Amino acid sequence: MSAATSPLVASGTSRGLRGKSVRSRIGDIAGNYWVGRIVKAILTIYLVVTLTFFLVRLMPGNPVESFILNLVQTQGLTYPQAQAQAASLFSFDVNAPLWQQYVDYLGNLIHGNLGVSIVSTGTPVSVMILQYLPWTLFSVGLALLISFVLGITLGILMAYRRDTLPDHVLSTIAAFISGVPNYLLAILIVVFLGIRLHLVPFTAMRGSLSPGVSPNLSLQFIGDALFHASLPITVYVLTTVGGWMLLMKSNTTSTLGEDYVLVARARGLRDGRITAAYVGRNAMLPLISALAISVGFIVGGSTVIEQIFVYQGIGWILGSAIVSLDYTVMQGIFLILTISVVVSNLLADLLYGKLDPRVRIAGSQ
Amino acid sequence: MMLGTRRNAFSRSGASDASVPADVVLSVRQLSVAYVTRRGPVQAVRDVSFDLHGGESLALIGESGSGKTTLGMAINRLLGSSAQITTGEVLYQRQGKVTNILTLNKEQLRRFHWQECAIVFQSALNSLNPVLRVADQFVDTARAHGQHDRGQIEQRASHLLRLVQLDPGRVLHAYPHELSGGMRQRVLLALGLLLEPQVLVLDEPTTALDILTQRVIIETLRQLKQELRFSMIFISHDLSLAAELADRVATMYAGRIIELGSVRDIFYHTRHPYTLGLLQSVPPLRGTLEDLRSIPGSPPDLITLPSGCKFHPRCPLAGPECAQEDPPAFVVGDEHTSACLRWQEVRSPRGEEAAIGEPSRVMHSARTPRAEEAAS
Ligand SMILES: Nc1ncnc2c1ncn2[C@@H]1O[C@H](COP(=O)(O)OP(=O)(O)OP(=O)(O)O)[C@@H](O)[C@H]1O
Ligand code: SF4
Ligand SMILES: [Mg+2]
Repeated sequence: MSAATSPLVASGTSRGLRGKSVRSRIGDIAGNYWVGRIVKAILTIYLVVTLTFFLVRLMPGNPVESFILNLVQTQGLTYPQAQAQAASLFSFDVNAPLWQQYVDYLGNLIHGNLGVSIVSTGTPVSVMILQYLPWTLFSVGLALLISFVLGITLGILMAYRRDTLPDHVLSTIAAFISGVPNYLLAILIVVFLGIRLHLVPFTAMRGSLSPGVSPNLSLQFIGDALFHASLPITVYVLTTVGGWMLLMKSNTTSTLGEDYVLVARARGLRDGRITAAYVGRNAMLPLISALAISVGFIVGGSTVIEQIFVYQGIGWILGSAIVSLDYTVMQGIFLILTISVVVSNLLADLLYGKLDPRVRIAGSQ
Repeated sequence: MMLGTRRNAFSRSGASDASVPADVVLSVRQLSVAYVTRRGPVQAVRDVSFDLHGGESLALIGESGSGKTTLGMAINRLLGSSAQITTGEVLYQRQGKVTNILTLNKEQLRRFHWQECAIVFQSALNSLNPVLRVADQFVDTARAHGQHDRGQIEQRASHLLRLVQLDPGRVLHAYPHELSGGMRQRVLLALGLLLEPQVLVLDEPTTALDILTQRVIIETLRQLKQELRFSMIFISHDLSLAAELADRVATMYAGRIIELGSVRDIFYHTRHPYTLGLLQSVPPLRGTLEDLRSIPGSPPDLITLPSGCKFHPRCPLAGPECAQEDPPAFVVGDEHTSACLRWQEVRSPRGEEAAIGEPSRVMHSARTPRAEEAAS
């Protein structure tokens, strides 16, 4: 805990012992706050894990059972043989009662063992995730960054120029594009820009890298990665930037009316300083929590978008897993998606605490 | 106490040929301000003229909505885009050099702000950026005016914070939300003095505060004024506060200064019925509430002003001529003007021959006769 958190409390020497107890109480509350947040995050992840586990098993035509039957039919195994193979794949005993399977599954999870893919036989799910997740993190992360920065900049601009032509034009565009579903935009790009007009070489852009390019720190690699990610990124940016613009515009407009902005002008501060530290920073604060929600949306949306563009990220793999009924992979990916959303929420909270001293509490420093 | 050398805020383009008496730092001439609204222009300030002398403090008194804040902001050209300065000049003089503030360009105006004239706003609670520490807001201010030595700035800030009776160790590194309203008000006062401006405008600096904190701030201001010798425009609707701090008082009604004179003249030789009404509506300290006589009626709509004297619908002395002619400012005494056609008939409740003493003290005793009336 830092002593700088509350100079008033810390220097409450006249209050003697009482001052001290107040201070430690604040520390307790702060500690509890972050412990609470983390417990809540873990609980969320646990609930999703449990839900997916049981959903998969309660699906009509138990997928494990149908997988076993499939093995029997296609590979000519006996039923017990097939069962044994299924057990090793799913990393739990298919004969054990459901609760036993559940406990085993959780135990394996804690050790990072997500089971083995049913379809690409033998490949551990964790290896698949490690292979495909970086591409999604890269494209989604970059898109989010571009969208956020662009949206904030344009939003501030619109607020400063409100009720002028540029503002009206941008507002209309923003309202329109934020209403377009991302999969629709993706399909439109493929159909019109790709197939009809041949403006976008979307077949060459399939995959996450061109053949022959391998991950290293060369310009060629980075350029190629950007080339392949550009379509998903464009879609993510276009469908989210309007929301940031409108949100930032309304926040900036109300911040511009704050007394401290007028006082900053009266103090003779330069416009740049006022815009950045007095208007921008305060107007941006409420957007930090929206950022976390946005991560969830984009990550969820990536499933469809990566299918459409054949961009080989985690969403693409999830799509293939769904089509081929690869349940272990599905389970693993749901888990990863959940974790990414929960973690980004936690990060947003932390960031918010860093940026707004009014919510900054001892435990967060 | 100066940090570095003061750069002159103005180049030639803001310079004015107008002549201003040598001891005047700020001369406001025929200033009018209107807000553009759907219903029409709101004439918030109308034809206001006054001089502010070096080291002097002028109190600007008036009911809510009489245009005090608008005037204070217009002097600093801080009004929003819906406000238009329709006529007038604001002449500022430093070391014999006269500048018309209304013709400064953007950068000149920026340098004029705070360096030459600082303004502490009505709602000080929200005047500081919530995400910056107090020290950073001092540093920001000094940097904007070409002082970059952080250590030196903080040292000066600490000195000023002590002057306003705050503990710099406690306040300087705090965030605004960690300070009480009274502390924030004093921080702003200290901030206002950071660049040693010639003119300090205080817009109701004590209105939101409890009576004890009010006293501390008034005392602090009185001492600061003696030590630092800046000129001050003190905006308030409380005449008794004005009496404690001001050398001269201007009363405003419907955007116009209707009486202007020394504190003594305003209190003992009142020459305008509206000022008289203000004097009588000061809440009693000793008498009962019945002593409080409010001015009947309410201020006029500033879009459709009444004809003639704007006060005539509420004026106890009004005669037929008052609805016809808008009275000019009559010189009614030495350095004393009143915009009333019947100024000769106005009698101050304290009597013309009232003992001359410290106004605030006499004011209280002036209430006593009324208190006695009420008691009998
Ligand atoms: N932005 C604005 N748009 C339109 N009218 C305004 C605006 N600001 C102020 N006014 C009007 O101008 C007049 C003067 O307002 P001003 O704030 O200067 O009064 P004031 O004397 O400072 O009052 P108070 O004692 O309540 O602070 C009022 O009638 C007010 O309604
Ligand atoms: S001019 Fe007439 S109405 Fe106006 S204040 Fe004087 S007496 Fe009253
Ligand atoms: Mg006001």
